[in-house]
Amino acid sequence: MVQSHHRGCHRQGNHETVGESKEKRPKFFINDHVDILIEILKRLDCRSLCVAASVCRLWCTIARNDSLWENLCFRHASPPPTSVRSVVLALGGYKRLYMGCVRPVRRRLGRARRASWAGDEVQLSLSLFCVDYYERLGGSNSNGRLVGESSPSSSLMFLCKPVNV
Amino acid sequence: MVLYDSTALAGNSSGSSSSSSSKPPPPPLQPQQQQEIDGLLAGAGYKVRSSELRKVAQRLERLETAMVNSPADFSQLASDTIHYNPSDLASWVDSLLSEFAQPPTCPSEFVMDPVTNQTVVNDAWTTTEPNMPQVHQNISYEQQSLNNQLTVVTAMEEDSGIRLVHMLMTCAECIQRGDFPLATSFLEDMQGLLTRVNTVCGIGKVAGHFIDALGRRIFQGIGGGSINGGSAYENEILYHHFYEACPYLKFAHFTANQAILEAFDGHDCVHVVDFNLMHGLQWPALIQALALRPGGPPLLRLTGIGPPSPDGRDSLREIGLRLAELARSVNVRFAFRGVAASRLEDVKPWMLEVNPKESVAVNSIMQLHRLLGSEPNRNSPVETVLSWIRSLNPKIMTVVEQEANHNQPGFLDRFTEALHYYSTMFDSLEACTVQPDKALAEIYIQREITNVVSCEGSARVERHEPLARWRTRLSGAGFRPLHLGSNAYKQASMLLTLFSAEGYSVEENDGCLTLGWHSRPLIAASAWQALSDAPAEFPAPDTHRPS
Repeated sequence: MVQSHHRGCHRQGNHETVGESKEKRPKFFINDHVDILIEILKRLDCRSLCVAASVCRLWCTIARNDSLWENLCFRHASPPPTSVRSVVLALGGYKRLYMGCVRPVRRRLGRARRASWAGDEVQLSLSLFCVDYYERLGGSNSNGRLVGESSPSSSLMFLCKPVNV
Repeated sequence: MVLYDSTALAGNSSGSSSSSSSKPPPPPLQPQQQQEIDGLLAGAGYKVRSSELRKVAQRLERLETAMVNSPADFSQLASDTIHYNPSDLASWVDSLLSEFAQPPTCPSEFVMDPVTNQTVVNDAWTTTEPNMPQVHQNISYEQQSLNNQLTVVTAMEEDSGIRLVHMLMTCAECIQRGDFPLATSFLEDMQGLLTRVNTVCGIGKVAGHFIDALGRRIFQGIGGGSINGGSAYENEILYHHFYEACPYLKFAHFTANQAILEAFDGHDCVHVVDFNLMHGLQWPALIQALALRPGGPPLLRLTGIGPPSPDGRDSLREIGLRLAELARSVNVRFAFRGVAASRLEDVKPWMLEVNPKESVAVNSIMQLHRLLGSEPNRNSPVETVLSWIRSLNPKIMTVVEQEANHNQPGFLDRFTEALHYYSTMFDSLEACTVQPDKALAEIYIQREITNVVSCEGSARVERHEPLARWRTRLSGAGFRPLHLGSNAYKQASMLLTLFSAEGYSVEENDGCLTLGWHSRPLIAASAWQALSDAPAEFPAPDTHRPS
């Protein structure tokens, strides 16, 4: 449903460039309406969001915004956890939380669990995220391993399957 | 292709040399004898009697082994083809075998007892040298498969693995009896056997560690192989990798944190005493959970006990600073204090500076067993420590211990138990694929094995006791058990699902949680509260800090 929105926007965009530019119709160019764009992008799943980030510079900036990832993390959590934002931002941000913890946790647990467990999943993801932040604080001097900006630290390695990149 | 009819057979046999046939020459085949010939092989050109099939198969195996092992003889034989009639397979094989230097007769049977799946070794076996060809021959006697080399090799390995276990037990029994020369000879045999077993995984790897530990006990004496030989820094590194490689420590931390979190509900001033700080990996999750608890975070004080660092680095302080930075990021008021002590019994309660108004939690992850001696007496270190813990009146004491009985006085019993326990643990470690965590985790476990097997007296610190005994001990010291609750269980189950291995299992055991591998519990977590029968909450005057 959301993806057809995508295509709709694109199609309209293409219409502009292909032909009939002589016609003075009121144009709707989604990039002029950033708030609508944000509302749409907020509802995407992870993969679509990453694809959207490669559309144009504006979309890239928006997709990198942490608030979109916040939505992604806690969309299915019922009840949605409150006052988590300051903690998550302090520990590295929602995108990192999602990519490093929530996504692998949800993927591994997703087959057996339904949305009702999502609250516990989120708590566990947050705890693991915190341990990850703590290890990143230690940096390269604690165990001689370089900790990159986007790569997960050693404590989350058990969540990473070697096949995934 | 030889046709299956009497004329062709007669023709063949008359053309053969005198050495091949076992029947009286020249043999006009009786019709009855023709029916005994195996039809399938006859179709391929060989005549073998059905009753002799088994024998021929064995001999072919032996021949193959002999050929493989002495290629020089074989090449000589290859040029002498006219002596043999290959279609009379039985005698052909026999004559070839007689040409080889290896005597075809093998020592007496190597019987597998199907009930216990242990090998019953005959005297004849132990007196001969265990060289390759005879092992092959013995195994093939059991295998009965003509061309299945792989099965032969696997069976040999399994057999060797079982023999290793057998020999380990026998060696341990010799040591218990005090018969060190015999134990030494067993040790050498085992080291020889080890070269033939796959030591990358399975029984070979564990057996290797146990053989090393036994060697230490025999040659260096008890107390020589203490794990305290490694520096504190090394121990921390190994512990960290053990944390990464398998879920036992993570399970311990998360379960204890959940219990502490629930116990601190509604309290604003909390103090956690950690008996073994290491890298402080347990506490970020607790700090984060306290930050997010409804009602806001309390003032958290953490007192971390750890060994003193020899080279001037204050590792306790460094960890404290890191934790403080984390707490500051998530807006939790935090204070840290480090207590450096090489043994837990050296710690006195006044060092912890417990404020009477705060709620105290004591956290012991695999530390209490170090305080045990081999015989229970009144003033053993564990009693002392438990009594001053009680005097602090903690809201909760979380105890996580290995679920094993490695504190038995008899060496053989202890050895047997350790063999089972650590085999299971190594099995579970196979599922880990992250290097170098896995290798270093193995070294961590190996140090435990060495301590359990090769040390005695005060050098042996790994005195694991099962949950039932801890229950008795803690109840006797004035504590009552707290049930860990369903949240802890759910969290532990979820945590395990994240580990890709399928064999882990969490079980609830009368309010305590155990984590095990394939229904063998390996680590047990429990929570306790001090029975408040004493009227005063303050510690007795003589344990106050001397002014």
